[in-house]
Amino acid sequence: MSDKLKQIINKQNEQQNSETLDQSNDIVQLVGFIIGEEEYAVPILSIQEIIKPISWTRVPQTPAYILGVFNLRGSVIPLIDLRVKFGLSSKNHNEETRFFVLKQGDDVAGFVIDRLTMAIRIKKEDIGPAPDTLAGDESMIDGVGKQDDRILTILKVAKLLERDF
Amino acid sequence: MDEFQEILQDFLIESFELVEKLDEDLVELENTPEDLELLNGIFRVAHTVKGASSFLNFDVLTHLTHHMEDVLNKARHGDLLITPDIMDVILESIDLMKALLNIIRDTSADAGIDVAACVVKLDKISSGEGAVDTPVATPEPVEEIVLEEEIVEEEEELDYDNMSPDDLEAEIERLLNERQEEDKAKRKAKVEAGEEVLAAPQIEEEVAAEPTPEPVVTPVPVTPTPPPVAPKVETPKADVKAAAPAKRAPAAVEQTIRVDVKRLDHLMNLIGELVLAKNRLIKINDDVEERYEGEEFLEELNQVVSIVSLVTTDLQIAVMKTRMLPIGKVFNKFPRMIRDLTRELNKKIELEISGEDTELDKSIVEEIGDPLVHIIRNSCDHGIETPDVRLAAGKPETGTIALKAYNEGNQIVIQIDDDGKGLDTDMLKNKALEKGLISEKEADSMSEKEAFGLIMRPGFSTAAAVTNVSGRGVGMDVVKTNIEKVNGIIDIESEVGVGSSMKLKIPLTLAIIQALLVGVQEEHYAIPLASVLETVRISKDEIYTVEGRSVMRLRDEVLSLVHIGDIFEVERILDASEHAYVVVLGLGTSKLGLIVDNLVGQEEIVIKSLGDYLKGIEGIAGATIRGDGGVTLICDVVALMDMAKGVKATAMVESSSAAQITHEKSKPSDYTVMIVDDSKTDRTIMRKALEPMGITLVEASDGQEALNILKAGDYNFDAMLVDIEMPRMDGYSLATEIKKYNRYKNLPLIAVTSRTGKSDRMRGVESGMVEYITKPYSADYLASVVQRNVNFKAEFL
Repeated sequence: MSDKLKQIINKQNEQQNSETLDQSNDIVQLVGFIIGEEEYAVPILSIQEIIKPISWTRVPQTPAYILGVFNLRGSVIPLIDLRVKFGLSSKNHNEETRFFVLKQGDDVAGFVIDRLTMAIRIKKEDIGPAPDTLAGDESMIDGVGKQDDRILTILKVAKLLERDF
Repeated sequence: MDEFQEILQDFLIESFELVEKLDEDLVELENTPEDLELLNGIFRVAHTVKGASSFLNFDVLTHLTHHMEDVLNKARHGDLLITPDIMDVILESIDLMKALLNIIRDTSADAGIDVAACVVKLDKISSGEGAVDTPVATPEPVEEIVLEEEIVEEEEELDYDNMSPDDLEAEIERLLNERQEEDKAKRKAKVEAGEEVLAAPQIEEEVAAEPTPEPVVTPVPVTPTPPPVAPKVETPKADVKAAAPAKRAPAAVEQTIRVDVKRLDHLMNLIGELVLAKNRLIKINDDVEERYEGEEFLEELNQVVSIVSLVTTDLQIAVMKTRMLPIGKVFNKFPRMIRDLTRELNKKIELEISGEDTELDKSIVEEIGDPLVHIIRNSCDHGIETPDVRLAAGKPETGTIALKAYNEGNQIVIQIDDDGKGLDTDMLKNKALEKGLISEKEADSMSEKEAFGLIMRPGFSTAAAVTNVSGRGVGMDVVKTNIEKVNGIIDIESEVGVGSSMKLKIPLTLAIIQALLVGVQEEHYAIPLASVLETVRISKDEIYTVEGRSVMRLRDEVLSLVHIGDIFEVERILDASEHAYVVVLGLGTSKLGLIVDNLVGQEEIVIKSLGDYLKGIEGIAGATIRGDGGVTLICDVVALMDMAKGVKATAMVESSSAAQITHEKSKPSDYTVMIVDDSKTDRTIMRKALEPMGITLVEASDGQEALNILKAGDYNFDAMLVDIEMPRMDGYSLATEIKKYNRYKNLPLIAVTSRTGKSDRMRGVESGMVEYITKPYSADYLASVVQRNVNFKAEFL
């Protein structure tokens, strides 16, 4: 019995090890979402959580894309409308709207997105650089992922969380 | 290694504490060179540090302190008179000692600082008068000294180096006996005084010797009742660790325990959360009270809620007190600073300190150190005149700077007065003009206070040349920034030729404050209560316009007004009422009336930062979380007053009624009607009755939901069917809320209810319902009422 158990455990360990190897080597895990017509993605590890829309408080003297601040279990977190930030008109929230809470270091902010798509595992070699015209330090685009017949725009989390006003 | 680290930490904490006290004592010593007790105390510090550092193998530090000890020992025995020149050297050596301690703290080693020059000076002093019974320390070679040190471990004033081991033993024996006698006598005295004898000194030692990982920890009194004495009494630990022979600490040992500041911060955060939860509980209690009026359990709930809120408040105060430090911690370093400055500037200045026992939150104490340094340097350099100028002006030769701290309501006031030449407003204005900081027009319209405020501007300096002490135009800017960081206010008063006085008013604590909550349209803002002088209810015709600015008469004053909505760009969706409230804000001597739509109440709020992303927004000091879980922004009164100057009054101008866009109806589905009822069946019945008309129907299950749909503005409603009895928000309240919006003022509301009483109908009319349909009704009747109210075009029938 115990031998069998050991065998199973060993096997599991082996599997896990090989899996983690796989991941760390050339697989990137992303979460995809839709804003307007386009699909975007951010690394899964930069996401603190994804919540349904809750009420927020407007903050004066800020650009239009900053909706305000909201209360996430006792922390006051800024809320940014990515539609407006990306130059689209704002839209009323509906059943599919979500708040994406992104975190990097001490910077945390919530982002309003139109719709979630899915968690995506994508090989590193399938990610190309951003087009030359959009590349550079100022760009919010980290790269462009190709999977099947989809094209994903991978966003720079650090850039999203950077104050630019 | 760990054990070593532990000892090292203790050593550092102790040394920094001792050194801090040292500065003050030394300056005092210069004034009273004969004070033996003072000398003994200073000697003991050097001695303790030397003992401990040699034990820990910090050779450079040991070397330095040893020579300091020599000089001090001489002075103590009356062989040396402390002159200012000697004091300079001693102070220099103490600075070196501090630097060494800092290096040890950072690197755990004492390399990198050359003490040789200072040691030579010290030696010169101690040998200059001729050696009497202290060993003349050999100069230069370090090794030799260190060797010497090893032997001197078990030290006393006597020259042990030359003793035989036996003699040494005997001497130690004698000293031990002496000390035991002393202890006995002390204990006896304690008993006689009726004091509880704690099981001998051991217990005290254990408590004090509890190791702490942080070097910055400061002693915190466990019992907050008696305010602790400002400068720490020599801790009993000093004796234990350094095995110093000095006398035991005074009999009344404070019962203190060292606590990591991080733990206190954590505790404070937890209390903050508790306060928020308490606010929430109170809110829920109110809701429950409303809903279950007259129920018996309510009273019990009420009691529990009040006990919880009472205890929370007490707890908050108690924790706040544990974080309090006497401001003496900061004041301590100034006597030394003044002394150095007087010598550097060739002026005669006396510093008077009072109120050093006044307590402040630790984080604030840390913030105000720098500003005070700058203010005092400024007073010395620009305020106090040179002795000959003073004499010529008929003032005493010695200038005085008075530094005092005291409580005033919820604030601490730190006042710095000098009897120097004072601030000359014309000169200030000219300088500012010269540097291009203000325009000519601004200079002309400037009040005296505003002119004094110029000295706080970055880049402003009245000094003709940049000196070592000041003149770079940075210092006072630092003062302003730091004081504003802790929500403090700076108040300057001055009279030319007589002197100036600067008051720093600082809130007791940063984290939790009392605030007045005000409403404007649908938004709420919190205003720190400390800046609110009063609130007044006014009607619109009490507001006058002078030169494009709103003002009102408040008793015999003219108060300038600004609408909070103009400052915060609030969108005006709600109808402005005839009356408004004015919150009179006061800062220093300036006043401002802030017009708000309504006053919500007073609440204890916990200040939370808006984070890096949104920090520094003008007019907003932070945010707080309210009882209902929503976020409310906190006004920054200082900025608000500033912003008010540039705001054009628009809010009180009757807004031209919102452009009502009436869409031409071209088909039946262009008509939209909302059905609000909590019963699914009732909604379906209404839907069935209206569907044949072909109009668009939207459903909501209660008042709150209906209101949200209206606010979202996705539809242009032509009418609403409203049930009266619904959870969350009933029909009457819904109607009242809807009527507040300009846009929906003329929306026909049709009550559909089983309530048939006359009073119910009256309430319906009062809240703005146009029709009242009682259940049950026929489908045709409902349809006809709706058609009538939406002006349904006959051609669609």
